[in-house]
Amino acid sequence: MNSKKRNIRDFIVQLQRLGIVAGLLAVLALGVWFCHQMKGSHVEVGADDKIGITPTQIQSIKAIGEWEFLSISNEELVDTIRKGLFKDDQLVRIYYGTLRLGINMHQASPHWLTVKGDTVTALLPKVGLLDKDFIDEARTKSFFESGKWTASDREALYRKAYRLMLRRCMTKANLKTAQDNAEAQFTKMLRSLGYNEVIINFEN
Amino acid sequence: MKGEKNLQIFNKLPFFYYLCPYFLNEMKRKNYFWAVLVGCGVMAAGCRQSSDTQVEAPATYEAVDTLPMLIMQVQQCARLYTTEVKVHKIVTHDDVIRLRGQLLKQDFNLKVPLGDRKIAIPMDATLKAYIDFAQFSEKNVERNGEKITILLPDPKVVLTSSKIDQKSIREFVALSRAHFSDAEMANYEQQGRQAIIASIPELGIVDLAKANAARVLVPMLTQLGYREENITIAFRKDFSPYDIRRLIE
Repeated sequence: MNSKKRNIRDFIVQLQRLGIVAGLLAVLALGVWFCHQMKGSHVEVGADDKIGITPTQIQSIKAIGEWEFLSISNEELVDTIRKGLFKDDQLVRIYYGTLRLGINMHQASPHWLTVKGDTVTALLPKVGLLDKDFIDEARTKSFFESGKWTASDREALYRKAYRLMLRRCMTKANLKTAQDNAEAQFTKMLRSLGYNEVIINFEN
Repeated sequence: MKGEKNLQIFNKLPFFYYLCPYFLNEMKRKNYFWAVLVGCGVMAAGCRQSSDTQVEAPATYEAVDTLPMLIMQVQQCARLYTTEVKVHKIVTHDDVIRLRGQLLKQDFNLKVPLGDRKIAIPMDATLKAYIDFAQFSEKNVERNGEKITILLPDPKVVLTSSKIDQKSIREFVALSRAHFSDAEMANYEQQGRQAIIASIPELGIVDLAKANAARVLVPMLTQLGYREENITIAFRKDFSPYDIRRLIE
């Protein structure tokens, strides 16, 4: 009788140990499954920096007749400083622009091309800046900013970059190069049309 | 006898044989337990040492150009600009903070109620279509008696200038958010510029440029003595290797 009771007690103890082991294994399996599920998990906080989709509207279309003979691509680093009580504010931007030198055929005189035998004489308009808007402001890079800046400050920087580009690019040497290229290109074109003698003149 | 009985019961449970305290006592008695412990310790020390001696990948440094080089590029060319198109675009951006990621293999993207900010940037751009006369030669001219045909390459379009209407920029910023920085606004303006360039094929500038090219060249040829009805201005596409491959059957 006593041995029977002892056997039952032993069996219960074994069952308890079995339960503990089973529980430990279940927890281990759950942990492995959780680690596998969490693999690749990530959380981030951020905002999308893409612009919205908006239409491009045509404001005007114009027929023009501009011959470009010299293209000058330029970059200007401009900055502005505002003195403060404790620290100075500064805004530095890089502007990009392309100055195009050539002739505008709408400024040519009515009979700018004359033919005498096999000699053609062309009186071309004066070489100059084709378009006064030459800065691509949308390409501007913001280099450094400290403090708060208004639209007027950015407009002032734009005008400063405009003046600097004009002074750097609109030189006599560049104008002379554009004029020489205009003469060469027109001579080549008129000779292609069958005229051996070509005389190119420019208006004053 | 008692020990043998217990051993018989444990033999029926092979999975838990090593967890049984009775067997542990047996191992201790036969010093196997200490041998296993020492073995585990040696293996752990070996693994740690091997992980310490792993060759680290050499650190790579990305060069950052903090001061862009200021350059001026001068290029001689021979371009005839025949059409000018002015376009207007309002670049908008809606800045919403979002919490996104992946958790337990499930993607999520939630809006964080920390405050929004919006900006609208009006900009104007000038597009010009031109014909490149750099390669113009006798091969581009066909004469047949009094008739003359000028063969030109297809017009190309270029964005020549753009202007941001700084005074008309509008931004709406919640109290909990910072104002748009100059760098952020420049980024949106550059994206707007790219959007304008991407919309060029839809504007139909190329066909206009072809017609306007005739308006510039025909008067010039009439001054050279040709009659208007005898002048033909034709356009030829400059076939790239890709285009030629498409034409070959």
